[in-house]
Amino acid sequence: MALWIQISPGSDKPIYAQIVEQISEAIAKNELAAGDRLPAVRKLAAELVINPNTVARAYSVLEQAKLVTTKTGSGTFVSDPRLHSRDAADINMLAERMDTLITRGLNLGLEAGDLDAMFRDRTNKFVSKHKSEEKKR
Amino acid sequence: MIDEIVLETQGLTKYYGNVLAVDHIDLKIPRGCICGFVGRNAAGKTTAIKLMLGLLNPTAGSSKLLGCDSTALTPAIRQRIGYVTEGHRLFGWMSIVELERFQRAFFPEQWDGKFFAEMIEYFGLRRKQKVKHLSNGQRAQVSLALALSPNPELLIMDDPTLGLDAAIRRQFLSGMIEIIMREGRTILFSSHILGDVERVADRIVVIDKGVIRADCKLEQFRTAVKKVILAFEDSVPLQVDIDGLLHCGRSENELALILVGAGDDKIAELAKSTGAERYHIVNMNLEDQFIEYTAPTSRGKLFRWEEI
Repeated sequence: MALWIQISPGSDKPIYAQIVEQISEAIAKNELAAGDRLPAVRKLAAELVINPNTVARAYSVLEQAKLVTTKTGSGTFVSDPRLHSRDAADINMLAERMDTLITRGLNLGLEAGDLDAMFRDRTNKFVSKHKSEEKKR
Repeated sequence: MIDEIVLETQGLTKYYGNVLAVDHIDLKIPRGCICGFVGRNAAGKTTAIKLMLGLLNPTAGSSKLLGCDSTALTPAIRQRIGYVTEGHRLFGWMSIVELERFQRAFFPEQWDGKFFAEMIEYFGLRRKQKVKHLSNGQRAQVSLALALSPNPELLIMDDPTLGLDAAIRRQFLSGMIEIIMREGRTILFSSHILGDVERVADRIVVIDKGVIRADCKLEQFRTAVKKVILAFEDSVPLQVDIDGLLHCGRSENELALILVGAGDDKIAELAKSTGAERYHIVNMNLEDQFIEYTAPTSRGKLFRWEEI
């Protein structure tokens, strides 16, 4: 378990942020489903050969983002995204970040339709996994 | 709660003749961390480590390990400290099993013979092999096993992975993680491989020309040292003034600043006040940060880290 997490220490991205990014993406793609337990901090630290505090930091960032919940004594679990309250400020921030991407896209000479297609295409890469998971069930 | 300090130096100074090797270093290493001790060649790492262990006498100042003065470490305190020398110097005429017997005598209370045997087996070494017939990497593996078997409370390693291949280096890092997960253990290790430091350390000490330039959490260092590029429409200003400026490089219409501890808001302010057309903050990896941080400064005075 957790062998899919890849750490590159020479990166300009801190190691804790690399873990946060990869776990967030796995949750978005439903590779980690609601209720799944993350590896224990010490276990993941030993597996990845990194400082346990770095793993703890990553888990606490994920918890602040409400992607996981820690239950004392039993571990850290992936939260159910359907139970998230949709925070207006979060959505707003997302919209602003999309603006940056749209600006970049238009600056590159893409048209609205191209951007639209690209966005749908990329999103599908995440969501298609959900559908195939559901079929299995 | 204030962390217990397991390694502390105050004004620790060493001259070799009239060469100043270690210059009034003040360090405080709390229990339970892995501290990466980094500096360029001849920055004073090995001298500092030898002073801490009481293997050299300081010209001035003092240092304490586990609360005991380094120049008067008692056998009882020494038993709680592990030390790995640079280059893994071991007695060549001894076999691995003889070395174990020799080393165990210094740690009679807590030597873990089973652990030692397991490590030697894991590394695929033969117990009767003479040290002089071992390769560099194998000697390093023996030295790691010797250092970890007494389960030291404080482990000090002087560039333990120097010259080792990637796989053996990883074993060393793994050994460090294993130790740190035991209650109350602390590790200080020097290294030139910043990627290794970033992997396992949660604190960093930067020494430069005998002076301590940083002693803080690794994450603080990662966040604090930044590179900012300011781009100008025409001519660049001759002077910029912002707190924490380490270096300033200039090209025809750009300024590249290395800043320490400047917040994003201060950077935005600076960009505005200098009339920069645009600016961006460049993400650096630890190695780039270290190189920039220890590059000779044009500003005369060395920046001294203040722990927040």
